[in-house]
Amino acid sequence: MVWRFIAKRVVIALLQLIGISLVVFFLIRGLDADPVARIVGLNATAEAVKQATESLGLHEAKLQQLANYLGIFSSSGKDGIMQGTLGESWVTGSSILEEVARFLPITLELITYSLIIAFLMAMPLGMSSGTRPGGFADRFTFVWGLFAGSQPEFWWGLMFVFVFFFLFQQAGWPSAPAPLGRLNPFLTAPESITGFILIDAVLRGRFDVWLDAAHHLMLPVFTLVFVISGPIVKMVRQNMLRVLRSDYILYARSAGLSRNKVARYALRAALAPAMTLTAIIYGFLLGGAVPVELIYSLGGIGEYSIRSILNLDFPAIQGTVLIIAMVSLVIYLVIDILHAFLDPRIAF
Amino acid sequence: MVAETNESTVAGSSTGNILEARDLSVRFPIVDGPDVYAVRNFNLAVKPGEFVGLMGEPGCGKSTAAMAFLGLVRPPGVIESGKVDFLGNDIFKMEEEAARQMRGRDIGMIVQNPRYSLHPMMRVGDQIANVYRAHNDVSKKDAWNHAIDMLRMVGINDPDRRVKAYAHELSSGMAQRVLIAIALSSTPKLLIADEPTSGLDVTIQAQFLDQMWDSCRQTNSAVVLVTQDLGIVANYCDRVVIMHEGTIVEDADVYTFFKSPQHEYSRRILNLQREAQEAGESVLGKIDRNAAPIVEVKDMSKLFPIRASESKVHAAEHVDFELRPGECLGLVGESGSGKTTIGRCVLRLVEPTQGEIIFRDRNIADIRRNEFRKFRGNLQIVFQDPLDSLNPRWTVHQVLSEPLKLHTELSGQAKEDRISELLDLVGLEPSMRFALPREMSAGRQQRASIARAIASNPDFIVLDEPTSALTPETTAEIIRLLMDLSAKLGIAYLFISHDLTTVKYICHRVVVLYLGQIVEVGTKDQVFNHPRHPYSRALLASHLFPDTTNRRVDRAVRETLEGEIPSPITENLPKGCYLYGRCPSQVDKCRDMPQELAVLDDGRSVRCWRVAEGDLPEEPAAH
Amino acid sequence: MNETTNPPGHTPTPEDIDQHIEPHMMIETVPTKRKIDLVRKFKEEKLFAFGVTIVALAIFLAFFGPVISPYDPNFATGNVSVGPPNILDWPGLFIDTVFLGADPPHWFGTDNSGLDIFSRTISAPRTDLQIALIAALLSMAVGTILGLLAGFFKNFLTEILMRTSDLLQAFPVFITAMILVALSGRSTGNIVVALTIVYMPIFIRLTRAEVLGQMPRGYVEAARAVGNSEFAVAFRHVLPNSLVPSLIQLSTTVGFAILLTSGLSFVGAGVRPPTAEWGLMIALGAPQIILGEWWQSIFPGVAISLTIFGFAAVGHGLEEDYR
Repeated sequence: MVWRFIAKRVVIALLQLIGISLVVFFLIRGLDADPVARIVGLNATAEAVKQATESLGLHEAKLQQLANYLGIFSSSGKDGIMQGTLGESWVTGSSILEEVARFLPITLELITYSLIIAFLMAMPLGMSSGTRPGGFADRFTFVWGLFAGSQPEFWWGLMFVFVFFFLFQQAGWPSAPAPLGRLNPFLTAPESITGFILIDAVLRGRFDVWLDAAHHLMLPVFTLVFVISGPIVKMVRQNMLRVLRSDYILYARSAGLSRNKVARYALRAALAPAMTLTAIIYGFLLGGAVPVELIYSLGGIGEYSIRSILNLDFPAIQGTVLIIAMVSLVIYLVIDILHAFLDPRIAF
Repeated sequence: MVAETNESTVAGSSTGNILEARDLSVRFPIVDGPDVYAVRNFNLAVKPGEFVGLMGEPGCGKSTAAMAFLGLVRPPGVIESGKVDFLGNDIFKMEEEAARQMRGRDIGMIVQNPRYSLHPMMRVGDQIANVYRAHNDVSKKDAWNHAIDMLRMVGINDPDRRVKAYAHELSSGMAQRVLIAIALSSTPKLLIADEPTSGLDVTIQAQFLDQMWDSCRQTNSAVVLVTQDLGIVANYCDRVVIMHEGTIVEDADVYTFFKSPQHEYSRRILNLQREAQEAGESVLGKIDRNAAPIVEVKDMSKLFPIRASESKVHAAEHVDFELRPGECLGLVGESGSGKTTIGRCVLRLVEPTQGEIIFRDRNIADIRRNEFRKFRGNLQIVFQDPLDSLNPRWTVHQVLSEPLKLHTELSGQAKEDRISELLDLVGLEPSMRFALPREMSAGRQQRASIARAIASNPDFIVLDEPTSALTPETTAEIIRLLMDLSAKLGIAYLFISHDLTTVKYICHRVVVLYLGQIVEVGTKDQVFNHPRHPYSRALLASHLFPDTTNRRVDRAVRETLEGEIPSPITENLPKGCYLYGRCPSQVDKCRDMPQELAVLDDGRSVRCWRVAEGDLPEEPAAH
Repeated sequence: MNETTNPPGHTPTPEDIDQHIEPHMMIETVPTKRKIDLVRKFKEEKLFAFGVTIVALAIFLAFFGPVISPYDPNFATGNVSVGPPNILDWPGLFIDTVFLGADPPHWFGTDNSGLDIFSRTISAPRTDLQIALIAALLSMAVGTILGLLAGFFKNFLTEILMRTSDLLQAFPVFITAMILVALSGRSTGNIVVALTIVYMPIFIRLTRAEVLGQMPRGYVEAARAVGNSEFAVAFRHVLPNSLVPSLIQLSTTVGFAILLTSGLSFVGAGVRPPTAEWGLMIALGAPQIILGEWWQSIFPGVAISLTIFGFAAVGHGLEEDYR
C-alpha cells in the first residue's frame, strides 16, 4: 500500500518538474525583457546585437530553443537537461549545475538549522499551551503565533545586526560578527564535502572553523527562527487543542489509560500536521530566504537567483527554479511518506 | 422527587448500590456569558445486575452525566459539586491513580460515534491491548492475544486480520464492537453505554443489544444505558430514569413507566406518540383504491459506476411500485437497501440507469433535464436533516419565495399572502418569517422545509426520513402535520424510513427493500402483523417498538439475522437469493437461484421461492 | 417546550450546550455566538480593536499620507543623514511647528540623500497598501470564481484548471514574483499582476475545497429539487456559502502581499527608487545600520511590522467568529 502511494507521488512529482521547467522556459521568453540589450548595451551596433543573439541561441525558433534546452534534437550540439546538465550561465560562462552546487548548500544549511530549531522550540511550547489553555504560556504562544506569522524578516535581521553587532560592540560586550559572510575572511574554509560548513568543519577536524562558522550563522538562524516559529507554534497549539477535545482522547481517559499514555496518543495525532507545515515552510524558504541571505552576505541560492534574474541570465533562472522546485518536491515527498507511516489514513 | 435515592442516606455499599450519584452538578463556563449547568442536582442509584435506561431529549445533559460517573467531563466543563460513590468509594475524592485504575477495569464505557472514539492512527488491536495492559499486569504479546480473543468474543469475523485494522477501515457497527471489546476486556462490574446504537441498523442494533444483555446477565454486571429511544428502553431496561434540563424527573420500573408515566414531560412524549398514531389512523382508509395511479415506477434500476473498476454499486434493481392520489407508501429497509436512491431517482435528482417513471400519463424519465425543471413544482421532496437542507444564509421568507418565483405567477402582495398562508398551513408563527434556519428549533426548521415542498402545490412528495433527525417528541408533531396536510391537500407521499414505528403510524402500504431489491410489498397490516419474507420477519422482530407487552428479551426465540449487510457492490452480491448466508430459512437451493417477486393469494408480493411455494408457512409474527 | 427559539445574540441554555456536545461528539469548541456584532467585538476584544485601528490608519494614510506629509516625500531637503530629534524635545517642536509656524522638524530624521523619513513613511501606504489591496482583491475575485467552477462542475476543463493551479503552487513564491516583476518591468502595475498570479492558487484551492464540502449538503440538493438551473444553484446558493474561508484568507493575503511588495523592493526587484515605499526605504538604510544610523530603516520597518500585525489581528478576529 505504502509503496504504491510512494510510487504514485514520485510520478506526480516528476510530471510537476516537467511542467515547471516548461512554464519557466516560456514564461521568461514571453515577458517583455531583452537579455541581448542587457549584455551588449543599448548603444550597440546592429552587428553586435546580431552576433550576441546568435551566440545566446536566441535567433532560433522558440521550440528549437526548448529542444536545445532539453537536449533533444539539439541544433547547437550542446548537452541539455536529458544529458544531465543545465547549460552555462550567459554572464559568467560557467556551468550552472556547478554554480548551483556551490550556492545551494549554503541556503540549505541556513534553513535546515533554522527549521530544526524552530520545530524543537515550537513543539513543547505549542503543546504546553494547548494542554493548559488560558495560562501564561498559552497567551504568549497565541500572540506570538499571530505576530510572528508574517513579519518582515529582512527588517528584523537588520535590527538584530544593529543591536547584537553595532550596539554590543559599542558597549564593548562580546558581539555578533559583522554581517559579512559565513566565515571570518582570515580563515580558509575547509574543502567541501557536504557543503554544510559546520559538518565539513567537523569532518575535516577544523574546530576553529566550526566555532567561527557557528558564530556567523548565529544571527541569520536566529532571524529565521524568530519569524518561522510563529506559524509552527500556532499550528501545534491549535492541533493540541483540537486533539485534547477529541472523542478518542476522552475515550482513552474513560478507559483508564495512564496520563503518560494519553499524552502519547495526543502527541501522535498532533505531530503529523505540524510536520507537514514545516515541510511547506522549508519549500517556501528555499527561494524565500533571499533577504536574509542578502543582509548577512551569505551568498546562497537566493542571492544567486536574484543576480540571475536582474542580469536576465535565462539559463541560470531556468536552472535555479528547476533545482529549487526539485528540492522542495523531494522534501514534500519525504514528509508525505513519513506522514503516511504516522497516519495510515493518508495512504489508502 | 426521586423515591429511590432519597431513601438512601447511608453509605452506598451498605445499601447494596453499585453506583450512587448524589447532588451532582456539572458546569460549562461560557465565554462572555453566564455559565451553564448541563447537569444539576442529579441523583441516581444503580444496583448490581440492574439494566437502567437513562432517557431524555438531546441536550438534557444525559451524556454529560454519564461521563461524570467516571469523574470525567469534556473540556471546558467542570464538575461543580456532588459526589459519585462507586462501591462505597467517592470517585471525586479518590487518588488520581486509583480513579484511573477504576475506569476501564471496574466501570466500562461505550460511547456513540465509535469511529471517532478510536484513535485514528493506531491499530485497534493496540488500542484494546493498551487498555488491557493499563489494568492487568501482562506482557505486550499476551495483551495482543487477549485483544484477538476479545474481538472474537464480540462477534467480529476474522479477528486475526481485524486486530490490525485502523478505525477508518471499520464499519460503524464493527467499530462499535471494538468499543465493547475495550469496555468488557477487564470484565467491569458496571457498564455505561451512551447511545451505543445510534447510527446502527435495526438488525445490527438488535444483535448488539442482545449480546450486551446476555453478557451482563451472565456476569451480573449492571448497565446504565443512555438513550432517547423509547423502543430500546421498553425492550431491554429494568428501570427507566427520565432526565430533563439537567435533572431527573422520573424514576420508575419499565412497566409502570409505560403504563402510567408520572412526570408531565414523560406523559407528553408517550401521549404524542399515541396521538400521532390516532391521527394517522383517521386519515387512513380514505383512499380510492380504484383511482388511476398518480406515480408509477416500472422496472427502475440504478447502478453507480465505481472509479477505476468494472464493478458497480447496485443501489436499486428492477423496482416497481405505484401510488394513488392521497396514498402514503412506506419504503423501508436498512442502510444499503437503496431506499434513499430510489426516492432520488423518482424525482430525477439522481438519473435512473433504466426504467420508466410515469407521472400522471407521462413518462418523465426521458424528458430533457432542462425541460424537467418545470415539472419539479409537481414532484417535491422533504429531506432528512432540516438544518442541512435549508440554505444557511436564507430566511424562511427567501426560502419560500424561491419555489413561488420558479413555479407560480405570484408576485407582490399575492406572493406575500401565499407565504403567510404556507406558514399557517405548516404551523409556523408569523414571527418566524424572517428567521434564519439556525435561529429556529429543529422542529420549526422541518416545518419550513415542508412549507417549501408544498409551496408549488405538488401532487406528490418524497419524504426522505423526515423525522430521523428529530427528537421523539418533535417526530410525533411532524407526523401529525404531514397527515393533516395529506388530508387537506390530497398529496401522495412516498415515505422513506428505517424507523418502522413511524411507518406503522401513517402508511397505507409498505415496500420492504433489501440490497436494492424489493423483497415484500403489502398493506400495512400484511407487512407489520404477518410478514412473510424471512428478511421482513427478521426486520420486524429486530425493530424495537415502544411497547412492554412483548419485550424482545422475554421472547423464547429472538429472531435475528447473522452477520452484517454486505455493501451492494457487484462482486459482493450473492448469486442467488441476496439474503443467502444470513437467512435463517435458507436451503442449498437458495444459493444459486435468483429470486423473483411473486404475488401471493392475499395480494401481496414476496421475493422468496419458499414462501411462494408454501414451504414457509405463515406463523404468528413476533409483533 | 421543546421548540425554543434561539434569537440572535442570546446566551446559550443547557440545551444548546449539550446539543452541541451530545449528538455530534466531534464538535471542537462550544460555540458561543451566532451572529457577529462588530461594534461589540471592537469594544470587547482588545486585539481585534488594535488591528482595526491599525488597518484604518493605514488606509487613511494610503489616501491622505502624501497630502498631510510635511515634506515632499520624493524631494531631497538638503539636510543629509540627520538623526531624529530627541524624543523629549518632540512636544516643544510640535508646538513650535503648529502654533508658531516654524519649519517642521525631521521627526524621523533624513536619509543619505536628504529625503525626510517621516514624510516618506506616512506616504508609503499609498504604494504598499494600494498594491497589496488590489492584488489581494483581484486574486480573491478571480480565485473564488475559478474555485467555484472547479468544485461545482467537475469536467475536463476544470481538471486542467486545477492541475495548472497545482503547478503554480509548486513554484517558489518569492522567486516567481521576482521573475515576473523584474522581467516585465518594475512598475506598480506589474507588481500587482505578479502578486495576483502568485496568490490566486490559494483562493482557487480554498474555494474549491469549501465548494466540495458544500456540495453534499442538503440545501444544494434542495435547491435542485425546487427547480433551479445548475448555474443558479452554483451562483445563488453555493457561492455565497463558500465565501467565508476566502474572506478570512483575504486579510492574511493583504499582509503577505505587503510583505512581498516590500521584500521585492528590498532585494532590488520591486518599485524603483526613489518611490516612497517601506521596503525600499529599509533597503536604502540597510548599509547605514552598521554605521549606527538606525533611524533610516527602523521607522519604515515598524510601519510594516505593525500594519501586517494589524491585518493578521483583524483576520484572526473574524476567523474566530466564523468558525
